[in-house]
Amino acid sequence: MTMMKTGARLAALALLAGLGACATAADPGAMTVSATPQTAAAPAAPFPVALQHAMCVRNVTGGEETNPMWVSKVDDNGFKTALSGSLDSAGLSAPAGGNCAFPVDVNLLGLSQPSFGFDMTVTSHVNYKVYDASGQPYVLATIDAPYTAKMGDAFLGVERLKLANEGSIRTSIEMFFDKLRAGPSK
Amino acid sequence: MKTTILKVACIALAVCLSGCATREYTTVAMAQPGDDALTCGEIQKQMADNEAVEAQHRKADKDVEAGNIAKGVGSAIPYAGILIAASTDLSNEEQAKARALADRNERLAALAKQKNCPQ
Repeated sequence: MTMMKTGARLAALALLAGLGACATAADPGAMTVSATPQTAAAPAAPFPVALQHAMCVRNVTGGEETNPMWVSKVDDNGFKTALSGSLDSAGLSAPAGGNCAFPVDVNLLGLSQPSFGFDMTVTSHVNYKVYDASGQPYVLATIDAPYTAKMGDAFLGVERLKLANEGSIRTSIEMFFDKLRAGPSK
Repeated sequence: MKTTILKVACIALAVCLSGCATREYTTVAMAQPGDDALTCGEIQKQMADNEAVEAQHRKADKDVEAGNIAKGVGSAIPYAGILIAASTDLSNEEQAKARALADRNERLAALAKQKNCPQ
């Protein structure tokens, strides 16, 4: 009986530790897509020549600031930093002060997050709008990107949710890059 | 007796946790196949329909937010509070669907302008 009580107390403490940790915003570095490694088995398709060194992130809307007492979110600046860094890595960014022929506007429609759980899956819903130099749409992409952070990735729920947010945005940017590789679509 | 209580507790926990999982949904795509073939009348009808549905989602989103605030307050209740907190809706479903429809209408408005449709 005493053992059961001790076990119950430990479980309650563990739960409180999980719930009591402060939430932090998604880390832009962890959402950034690094350059795709070229392998002989699966070479990545190249981006259209017109897009290379010609893109920039113009506006990001729809993000949310993280309340430390609540859950981790993705804010506009964090997303913008991650997407800009990803464009840099892929050789798509226009030179600083240079001509940005293909501006990108992003609308973060929403993050579908679990409120509780062991393996946590977050799905990001994002609209990417790429325009050409004349202001006409070049790519209009609506992307739903799921990512699961497992119990082994982080013990604390708030940390696991943050990892799932970051993974979901990273996946979303990768999927956006696939759309860019495919060329104009609107 | 203890075993039965434990089993019931496990089943209750499993039910609760399954309800806390991420809700899967899709949003309306901004650009859709066949957009270029839409007539002015079809564009106008789609835009009006989208506006009506968007308004419903915005209203539902406010209701969800209010519910979440109430659940946040309720989470302070000892023991039951954990279950109340776990039932918080973090799916952002209504918000995402409303925003997607607004973007879709932005796209349709651009198409209407391109086709010189009457205002």
